[in-house]
Amino acid sequence: MAQETTPTRVGKSSDFEPGAIALVEINGREIGIIRLQSGELRAVLNYCPHKGAPICKGFIGGVWQSSGPGDLSFDASQDVLVCPWHGFEFSLDSGRELCWNKRSRLRFYPVHEAEGDVFVSA
Amino acid sequence: MSTDTTLASDTAHRLKTELRIFDCDVHPVPQAGLVSLTPYLPAAWRERFARKQAVHDGLNVPIRFKHPNGSVVRQDARTPEGLPPASSPQHLVADLIEKHEISGALLNCFEAGGLLSVQASTEESIVLAAAFNDLFIEEWLSVDKRLKYAAAVPTQDPVAAAAEIRRVGKHPQVCAIFIPLVDLMMGHRYYWPIYEACQELDLPVFIHVTGIESIFTGTPTMGPGTFDGYLERYTVIPQIGMVNVNSLILSGALERFPRLNFIFAEYGFLWLPSLLFRMDRTWRGLRHETPWVKKPPSEYLHERFLFTTQPLDGPDNPLHMQQLIAMLGHDVICFSTDYPHWDNDMPGTTLRMLSDDARRSVFYDNAARVLRI
Repeated sequence: MAQETTPTRVGKSSDFEPGAIALVEINGREIGIIRLQSGELRAVLNYCPHKGAPICKGFIGGVWQSSGPGDLSFDASQDVLVCPWHGFEFSLDSGRELCWNKRSRLRFYPVHEAEGDVFVSA
Repeated sequence: MSTDTTLASDTAHRLKTELRIFDCDVHPVPQAGLVSLTPYLPAAWRERFARKQAVHDGLNVPIRFKHPNGSVVRQDARTPEGLPPASSPQHLVADLIEKHEISGALLNCFEAGGLLSVQASTEESIVLAAAFNDLFIEEWLSVDKRLKYAAAVPTQDPVAAAAEIRRVGKHPQVCAIFIPLVDLMMGHRYYWPIYEACQELDLPVFIHVTGIESIFTGTPTMGPGTFDGYLERYTVIPQIGMVNVNSLILSGALERFPRLNFIFAEYGFLWLPSLLFRMDRTWRGLRHETPWVKKPPSEYLHERFLFTTQPLDGPDNPLHMQQLIAMLGHDVICFSTDYPHWDNDMPGTTLRMLSDDARRSVFYDNAARVLRI
């Protein structure tokens, strides 16, 4: 437990760019470090709550919207993690699936930046 | 006492205390085939059909697809005078509605289905649809208020079909619009003028097996090649229901027409759980391909579709049947007899294993929610 709360340095702040997913290993857990468009960081367990896929090997997408058949728009302002297996989409804001009211969600770990470095508590 | 009488009296006792029944699938027959339509056809078209010797008193399918016992209609349902089964409104009321204490029945003409789908030409189908509708409104609906009607439309011309809906759709006993399907999935924009007219008049879309699918070009197709007989074709007809539920939901048509409901007659319903599991699961991952689908597919199904019970398939163990229906939800099924066809189900022997609440939904309330009855 004590080990989980000890922050681990995972790199320099400049290593993490929006839209990219960097994989690190901390205490035997594979974790994806993602910089959101807001500049905030997320540390996400590399495990899809659907079927255990390495979700951090997927990609960051936005949200497709429509007012009706044939009308299509893309909202790139939202940070969504898309699983490489079944394509399930999870909000990097809430950790929940975009369009499905399931209790399962992404596991986030505390992450912070200090003096140009990034630290994750996992 | 015959078995039939035993069932009828048993039904009567049960119904007086428990259930109202609405029958969502009954087939009136023009007594003399196309000749019965003569008074309702414009003079020139009357002459055209006469010259073609277009009697068309049945489905007129190749022998490969004919019913192995000669006819899809029950010969015991002939009138006492020997007229064809379900060709007399008075006899149908006595033999079905009164005998089984049914409070109302939705009529749809099987012969119209095949003709308007592809067996008549596009121009012919437009005048025939109007003649069928006028005949049933004039000669059947006037006989008994319990008779309701799914007016048939010439699907080959969706604009003409919409005009026909607006012409007859305000009749108080016209409760649905029967679309004889062509070889386009129901979510296709081709059908939009028809859906627009239905929604405008608050009438649900009713689809029914036409009996000629995969037999004639231009009908909905089921698999490659040609079926080897009636039975082989009959058993996979649910494919058409499956394909069209899938298409209506994923095309976004239900978002485009938010007040439009659908009744699928004779396609079965026990296949729905597996279809819905797959639709929901795949939509969760690939939702962005059809972002006009705003919620899980299964939610649309429960809000907008009904499936008739006949022909009732299912396991022998009533507990298993209860479980299958519980898995699906009894809110999406509605009772039907398919009178006077051979594979009918009568109320006294249908879904007796369900709870009282479920039976009330299936035998009446679900239909009343969707149909103007």
